[in-house]
Amino acid sequence: MTQTYIRRKHSVTHYDPVQAFNGFTLISPFGTDDAWLIDMKGHFVHHWKMPGFSCELLQDGHLLGITKEGLVELDWDGNLVRSYKDEKAGKDFCRLENGNTMYLRHIPVPTGIATKVKGGIAGTEKEGMVVDALREVNPAGKVVWEWLGYEHLDPETDSICTVCHRNEWTDGDSCTVLDDGNILVCLSRTHNIYIIKKETGKIKWRWGVGELAHPHHASMLENGNILLFDSGLHPYGVMPAGFSRLVEIDPKENKVIWEYRAPAALFFYSTFMGSCQRLANGGTLITESQKGRVFEITDSKEIVWEFVSPFYNDHPLYGHNNILFRAYRYGSEFPGIKGRILDTSKVEQANKTYGPKTFIR
Amino acid sequence: MAYESPHSVVYYDPKKAYEGYTLIDPLGSREAYLIDMEGRIVHQWKFANMPALNGIFLPTGNFLRPQQTPLGDEELRIIGLAIAGRGGEIVEVDWDGNLVWKWEDLYMNHTITRWSNGNTMVVRWYRTPDEIIPEVPGGFSRTELTVEGNKVMWADGLQEVTPDGKIAWEWISFEHMKPEEWPICPLCPRSEWTHANSVIEMPDGNVMICCRHISQIFVIDKKTGNIIWRWGEGELAHPHDPTLVSNDNILLFDNGGHRQDGSNISWSRVLEVNMKTGRIEWEYRGNPPMEFYSALCAGCQRLPNGNTLICETMVGRVFEITRDGEIVWEFVNPFYNQWLKDIFGRTNQVFRSYRYGPDFPGLKGKNLDPNNYQELNKLYGPDAQK
Repeated sequence: MTQTYIRRKHSVTHYDPVQAFNGFTLISPFGTDDAWLIDMKGHFVHHWKMPGFSCELLQDGHLLGITKEGLVELDWDGNLVRSYKDEKAGKDFCRLENGNTMYLRHIPVPTGIATKVKGGIAGTEKEGMVVDALREVNPAGKVVWEWLGYEHLDPETDSICTVCHRNEWTDGDSCTVLDDGNILVCLSRTHNIYIIKKETGKIKWRWGVGELAHPHHASMLENGNILLFDSGLHPYGVMPAGFSRLVEIDPKENKVIWEYRAPAALFFYSTFMGSCQRLANGGTLITESQKGRVFEITDSKEIVWEFVSPFYNDHPLYGHNNILFRAYRYGSEFPGIKGRILDTSKVEQANKTYGPKTFIR
Repeated sequence: MAYESPHSVVYYDPKKAYEGYTLIDPLGSREAYLIDMEGRIVHQWKFANMPALNGIFLPTGNFLRPQQTPLGDEELRIIGLAIAGRGGEIVEVDWDGNLVWKWEDLYMNHTITRWSNGNTMVVRWYRTPDEIIPEVPGGFSRTELTVEGNKVMWADGLQEVTPDGKIAWEWISFEHMKPEEWPICPLCPRSEWTHANSVIEMPDGNVMICCRHISQIFVIDKKTGNIIWRWGEGELAHPHDPTLVSNDNILLFDNGGHRQDGSNISWSRVLEVNMKTGRIEWEYRGNPPMEFYSALCAGCQRLPNGNTLICETMVGRVFEITRDGEIVWEFVNPFYNQWLKDIFGRTNQVFRSYRYGPDFPGLKGKNLDPNNYQELNKLYGPDAQK
């Protein structure tokens, strides 16, 4: 960071209305129970009370989130539509077209397998090792499919990052169900992303270790490529430098075909979380989570929007932070928003305290 | 944009900061500067080469600067050391830039110190003997360099160079280190065993070294060459710049690269360790911790009023804190260049920075009028990029 975090400008600090992908941005400030929709100028236009920091707006205007207690779905007005209790719930989920929800969860690794898992710092699994699993539930809350990481990952080659702790094997942070039903997951601590075959649970494809350094938020693009946030923490065999990048991979050729680094690369870095969303106009919305910063680049990598979260709170590990796990942009035509009256009077207090007029220093 | 921070001095509390002039010698720059507390340039030195990796303003008023010499194909073939930290020469110039002393050494890295006897201590690379290389544990496998078809691991050593160019003392690490006792950080490349980045003179004449790849500081007995003290295992992660701040305490910059704390946060700290007890007695971290991080390089200087000047190299930030961790001066380097541009794009890095109080002997009688640099101050001074 180029200066003390709180000394930065906050709220929307840059906006090019012509080149930006106009719409609304969903943010869920870490350490709060709030999810906000903001407009392109930083005005708050809608709010939900959503525990947990990972949530998405659905086509019907519902807000779906994953929390420490499980899945929570609210309607536009914040009423509870359904919830699914699971204390082992992880960081990401995917709503399928049939109404089911696929999500990540953490499960203990049986001791006999845990000892075989290579990598990580020896002796750091004193309280046991957990691994990611997937669970698919239907709208009625019935489990219709499960996948257990330790049954399909290779303890030798899907090894834990050399300098990470062994309390977690995978530290997964994204799961997406693809058109063919297979599942794309990002299991950051192995430095790999994986495609899991739905029928068998077998790993159909994996890529990353040696190329990526703690990847996050892998998504499938319309062109068949995969976009992800490569944090740059713990690169193998080189001196650490301290910058992140976005990477677009062709999974058929196993090649990086596009990359984004900041023009001054060292000013863009988030070692944890991190997200990236390809927008309909070819631009990309990027969340530099550790700095609470969201910015949008065009397909020619020009920054056309920037937002710095004004929501600070204190955390035993992350200190006085304004972390944002993710941000999602929804265009004005997005079905969940289209036609809705976005009444800023309902979020008047937020606009007074955290809106662009107050917060640009 | 938040991404484009304001530059020069962005914060200054005159009541709490230590008044003086700050040396800014940016990585990749052929100019070095002294700036005042408001950020105005008051002196500039010009050089033919870039620093390796920063100059030191001496009490004599001269400027001692290790520099990176251009590397020809033949030299590159011989040493294989086309890395950012290599040097090649040391120059000492006076206030006006006239050459006073010069030393050339293809194998020097970027670490030198002027010794109290007037000699210059230079860290340089020595090839680890072939039979020792496989005995050195750690590091990321198969990342040794290849030079003329041979596997190479560089180790560190020292030469004490007299003003007339004689070697008064030499020390080579692998003559005094048992490989099994000095493993390389598990993620680092095995191209270098230790990577020394700082050498300081202890009051008893012994030599303290700080090494990045083994994340430790240690003391060499000058008479015997034996390593008589070491510290850092399990505590430090790629440290830099130890200095003695009291009879027993060492101040140093603990960078945090490849730190094994399991936090998945990159965070740096400046700490003070008691050499007798091995206990950390003082520490500064950012709040939030991710706010303060320099993966590589970096330095810290204890100031006479008890404050500490910290140079966070990778993001070009130099700031001063009180003992309680309050930031009382903050500077963002406005001098960008193409240092390592293939990896980093634009950079504004400063390896180390020093504050000189108004009583510093080297400043006596010097012209420190910012009006001597009106054009530079228009472009890079406090009013330029706000």
